[in-house]
Amino acid sequence: MADSDNDSGGAHNSGKGGKVLPRELDRFLPIANVSRIMKKALLANAKILKYAKETVQECVSEFISFIIDEASDKCQREKRKVINGDDLLWAMTTLGFEDYVEPLKGYL
Amino acid sequence: MAMQTVYLKEHEGLVYNSVGQLSSVTSAPWWSALGSQPVYGEYCGQIKPFSFEISNYVDQFPAGKQAVRGVEQLLDKGHTTTQFTIFPDDCKMSGDAENPQATLSLQSSLAEPHNRFEIGFNQPMICAKYPYMDQFYGLFSAFGPQISGRIMLPINLTSDDGPTYVNAKQYHGIIRRRLSRAKAVLENKMIKRRKPYMHESRHLHALRRPRGCGGRFLNTKGSTNGNGRNESKVNKTGGRQLQSSASQSSEVLHSEVGTLNSSKETNRSSPNISGSEVTSMYSREGFDGFSVNRLGSSVHSLVDMVLSRPLNGLQQYQVTAATLKFD
Repeated sequence: MADSDNDSGGAHNSGKGGKVLPRELDRFLPIANVSRIMKKALLANAKILKYAKETVQECVSEFISFIIDEASDKCQREKRKVINGDDLLWAMTTLGFEDYVEPLKGYL
Repeated sequence: MAMQTVYLKEHEGLVYNSVGQLSSVTSAPWWSALGSQPVYGEYCGQIKPFSFEISNYVDQFPAGKQAVRGVEQLLDKGHTTTQFTIFPDDCKMSGDAENPQATLSLQSSLAEPHNRFEIGFNQPMICAKYPYMDQFYGLFSAFGPQISGRIMLPINLTSDDGPTYVNAKQYHGIIRRRLSRAKAVLENKMIKRRKPYMHESRHLHALRRPRGCGGRFLNTKGSTNGNGRNESKVNKTGGRQLQSSASQSSEVLHSEVGTLNSSKETNRSSPNISGSEVTSMYSREGFDGFSVNRLGSSVHSLVDMVLSRPLNGLQQYQVTAATLKFD
């Protein structure tokens, strides 16, 4: 499920990337999805400032890049080109995020 | 006898160049406390040629994660011993300069066998430590004992804060991310300021659309051909308008301020959902919309009436009916 979502997201970005700077779209997650996830944890009538949304967007994007760089580095060392779920779990274990491994085994 | 002893001292100094260089870096604040400027000047001059040898040692000792921890533990012990040996080394170098230090040179001659053993034992460990902390070796000793399981990050020039200690497992990842971010900045010259909109044509279209109370678009009901999401959103916005119109004047003003803030928030966000929501995100402030709307028509005059005073349910219904007839 997660892999297909990522693929469709990538295609969507590449479609728009032709017109605007592609790097800027690839740098961050879509801010509407980030704000929706933030609102789930708040009360119904709560409001979020744009600076808070942008800051969380940057933090989340940086965290994803942090994990993927570690997994990608491992794949390069083993001369593989596809990052699979086991690589992500290994990367999280290596970086000290062991608590994430058990919940994510159900998804990866 | 005096001449022979002088030659022996010089020979020992040459043999232990690397260790002397390391100790001289840490001894700079200690030596400056004594207040003798000419000797300090000599050390500044002598430090430069030794740096090349240190680079050779860096190549010889590529250290892993576990080795780093082991070296740190040994360095805690070695630091005290090297600090002790600084004293006789300095006396050797400056034995000819001043007479009061002649007695100190005698003490150094007595301690020679002890120095040899200690320096020989610590030499590879200290050099192995160097590749990770070469730029901040002086700062490292200044911060005293380290927190267990943490490694100090190199200080960023941009941030004025002190050194940051991070999880030892994440140190390499953080350094790698910093390099990749710097590379991205150099290659793409990314502008940190965000663009308020992605597409110029959509932005212009949103500017041309007529706006109603609080800056929202007027013809929202016309776009109900889409999915259920849009329909539910239209219902939600309608409910908000009814609630705001039913309340008192002060509450009406408060809600208007809130709607303006929300429109400002959506003004700069990036789109990624259906077209109607994308266009709604590009809405501008209420004043701009009203200035466009007031160019002349009965519907816009009704909108002006809405702003002047609160409406009850019946009048709200009349306003919506008038807008439908106008379309």
